[in-house]
Formats: sequence, C-alpha cells, structure tokens
Amino acid sequence: MRYGALALLAACVLLLVVQCGAVGGSSSTAPAAERGGPGFNATDVMFLQMMVPHQGQGVRLVRLVRRHPVRPEVATLAAAIESTQLTEVKDMAGRLRGWRRPPTAPPHSHASHGGMPETTQTELDALDRTPPDRFERAFLNLLIAHQDDTVQMARMETGGGQDAWTRRLAENVDRSRSAQITRMLAILGSRSPHNPSQK
Amino acid sequence: MRSTRAKVAVAAAAVPAASAVAVLAPAAPASAHGTMSDPPSRVYVCKDEGPEYPKSDACKAAVAVAGTQAFYDWNEVSLLDAAGRHRQIIPDGQLCSAGRAKYRGLDLQRTDWPAKRITSGPLTITYHATAPHAASNFEYYITREGWDPSQPLRWADLVHLQTFNRQNPTTFTKWTLNIPPRTGRHLIYSIWQRVMGSNEAFYTCSDVDFGGSNGPTTPPTTPPTNPPTNPPTTPPTTPPTTPPESGTWAAGTAYKTGDKVTYNGATYECVQPHTAIAGWEPATTSALWRTA
Repeated sequence: MRYGALALLAACVLLLVVQCGAVGGSSSTAPAAERGGPGFNATDVMFLQMMVPHQGQGVRLVRLVRRHPVRPEVATLAAAIESTQLTEVKDMAGRLRGWRRPPTAPPHSHASHGGMPETTQTELDALDRTPPDRFERAFLNLLIAHQDDTVQMARMETGGGQDAWTRRLAENVDRSRSAQITRMLAILGSRSPHNPSQK
Repeated sequence: MRSTRAKVAVAAAAVPAASAVAVLAPAAPASAHGTMSDPPSRVYVCKDEGPEYPKSDACKAAVAVAGTQAFYDWNEVSLLDAAGRHRQIIPDGQLCSAGRAKYRGLDLQRTDWPAKRITSGPLTITYHATAPHAASNFEYYITREGWDPSQPLRWADLVHLQTFNRQNPTTFTKWTLNIPPRTGRHLIYSIWQRVMGSNEAFYTCSDVDFGGSNGPTTPPTTPPTNPPTNPPTTPPTTPPTTPPESGTWAAGTAYKTGDKVTYNGATYECVQPHTAIAGWEPATTSALWRTA
C-alpha cells in the first residue's frame, strides 16, 4: 500500500514536469495511471477520473436536503440526482477498472488541463449551517454551480475522447446536467417575486 | 495529505466495490487559471470583497442572485471547448459569465459595479493567472462610445483594442493598452484563448469609469456579425449518437414509482419518482427506470 502511494506520488511529480502532454492526444509521456490504451485515450481516462470524485461531491451535496427544509420538487430532484449519479459513478469506476486505471487521478495532476473544479467539504459544511429560510436557495445555487462544472468536464470528453462508451456517457451527462440547471433556475425563479436576471 | 489520498485511490482500484470508497474520498484542491486583476474583473472584485460578506451593492446582488460559489472559483470563468468560437457559443447578454449559469451574477446589468477610474491613452493592465498556460492568445476589447451599462452587453458593443498572440503568461502578466476616448462607465473585456494542449478560453469583464456620464446612449450601429444561433453543443466533428425518440416517455412529465412508459419500442417502469428531463431517458437511466 505504502509502495503504491509512493508510486502515485512519483507519477504526480512526473506529470507536473511534463505538463501532461496534450488533451486528446495519446500522450506517451503520461504516467501509466492516466495513459490511454487500446480503444481509449488519455482524455477518456482523465474525464472518468475527474468525474468519479466530482460525482461523489455531488452526492454529498444532494444528500444535505434530507435534513433541511426544501419544497417537495427540490427534494424529489435531489433524490433522483443522487440515484442517477451513484449508478453513473459505479459504471465509471467499472470502466476504469476494466482499463486497469485507478478511479481517481493523483492530486493536482489535471491542473494544466483546466484543473478540476470542485465543491469542497468546507463549502458543503457552510451550506449545512445555512439557516432554514435561506437553505433552499443556497442549495440550488451550489448545485447549479456544481453541475455547471460537470457540463464543462463532459464537453472536454466529447471534444477529445476516443472511447465510444465514454463519449456517449459524456453526452448524456451534458444533457442531463444542462436540463437540471434549467429546471433549478426555473424553481429559483418561481419563488422570487421578480426576475433575478434584472437589476 | 497526498499519500493519504493516493492510498485511497490505490485501495479503491484494488477493491471491486470501488465506487463507495471513491465517493467518500476527499478530492484534491483546485489549482487553475486566472482573471484580470487590474483593472479588476467583476469576479475579482467580489472575490476580494469576500464571497460571504461582500461590501458593494453590485457584489451583494450577484451573490443574492447566484450564490457564492462563483467567487470561490473566481479564476475559472472559462469554457473548456471554446476553440475560438466565442461569438458562436456565448449568447449576447451573457458575455461576463461566458454563458455559464454558475457565473450568471456577473451579467447583472447595473450602473454601480465597482469601477476603476481611468483616462484615455496608455493603460497598464495586469492579468492574474494562478495556473499560467504557455502559448496563449489574449484579446482585449472596450465597449463602444454610447454603450448603456444598464443594457445587456452584446458582442456588437465591443470594440477591439489589441491582441497579444503566443504569449507565455506568468502569474502576473502586464501589457499596455492604448485606450480610446470615452465618457462615463465602460467595460474592458478580455478573452484568453489557450492554443496548445487545450481548447479552453477564459473571459473577463472589468468595469472602468472615465468620469462624466455615459451621455446619450445609442443602440449598437453594427448588427452582431455572428448571431448566437448555435447552442454550445459538441463540436461538429462529433456524430450524433442519441437515437431519435419514440414512445410515451416525455421530458417535463412527473413520474411516480410504478408508472409505465414506452420508449423506442420498449416498455419501462418507473422505480423512483422524478420529473423527466433530457439525459434521463429510460433506456439509459437504470437508476430511475427498469424494463417492464
């Protein structure tokens, strides 16, 4: 175990040195943990390795509605997002396992590709402490931001990925998160007495 | 810290039920990108004021509308698949947010965004890049005379100032722009397009004030040369893989557990209540539907 940790750490350092090669390229300079292989490239691996922890953050986020007051439509949406993302993350980790790649990349390794946007535990904790009268709005805004980041990751894959299964998954991710954002903006707007996009 | 995370990753790879471990694993800190720090972009101004307790009315409004996350992620007002298609993929009225819902607070049409006082002539500007990417192009624009800050910012409102190609930015990169005469409040707009290893581009809106009023505002004289008719979808090289739909399943419908639908010739039963949306089609969403 310790040996593996050191190997990954070494891989991370190597990665920073070589700047990860190019997005979408079958970069031979990428360490084994992130390299492409037969029928899949480094972008496929990177997308899945970014999505697995990002999905985990999303699941922790939507679970917060269980102990805060939200309208039924928000609770239903949050529960459906939790279920769908848990299924997706299993499939994603399974795909990576089939490729003999770890489910997450070494820390910082994606910085030169656009980094990995994230919703940190600190932000989740801050949301958890939000008073009841402000919780739903803060929750929806954080989830919109989180899924907006997800859409960006998906478009990286559809633009540069090779594996058909992963590309199809990314298209579905793009469509479902975009639709969720539209729906959440509508839910936010339905509570406000005025259109928030106006001054 | 790192070794702990790496251990989790290794453990997750080794265990068949990896997903549960991965879901619980803390993620690495973000480290990326940048924005204009002088004159400061809107996102930089609100970040510096503090996302939780902003001082200016404009930043307070931006947080009230769209939350605080945009200002924690102040250096990521970007599109990963831009590839120079800025005018095609960012609609008029959403230039400051790059069309991203996360950053929609930056698009608020207000006349009180904190603005740096400047004059026409040479202006030294600074771009703060937390993760500088080599070989990048930086384009700078200013709003036209007669622009109305209370109206949506359109591509046709922008006048090109200068472009710096093949730059290798450092953490704080300075250039000098030659600012034309203006009165009242204006915006300096920038596009940072990476040209090596990524299609990613970054967008900034910096409010500046020349003194005096904006005077009689006029509508843009030139029509948008590239109307935003193309939605920000996948590049044209991507073949559509989503098959045409048929059946009773319909996005927007609220389904209960046990409801049955048909979709592309098969019958499905709802296993969890939800309102249907694109991307949650029965055939590909086993968390919500099972074959009946």
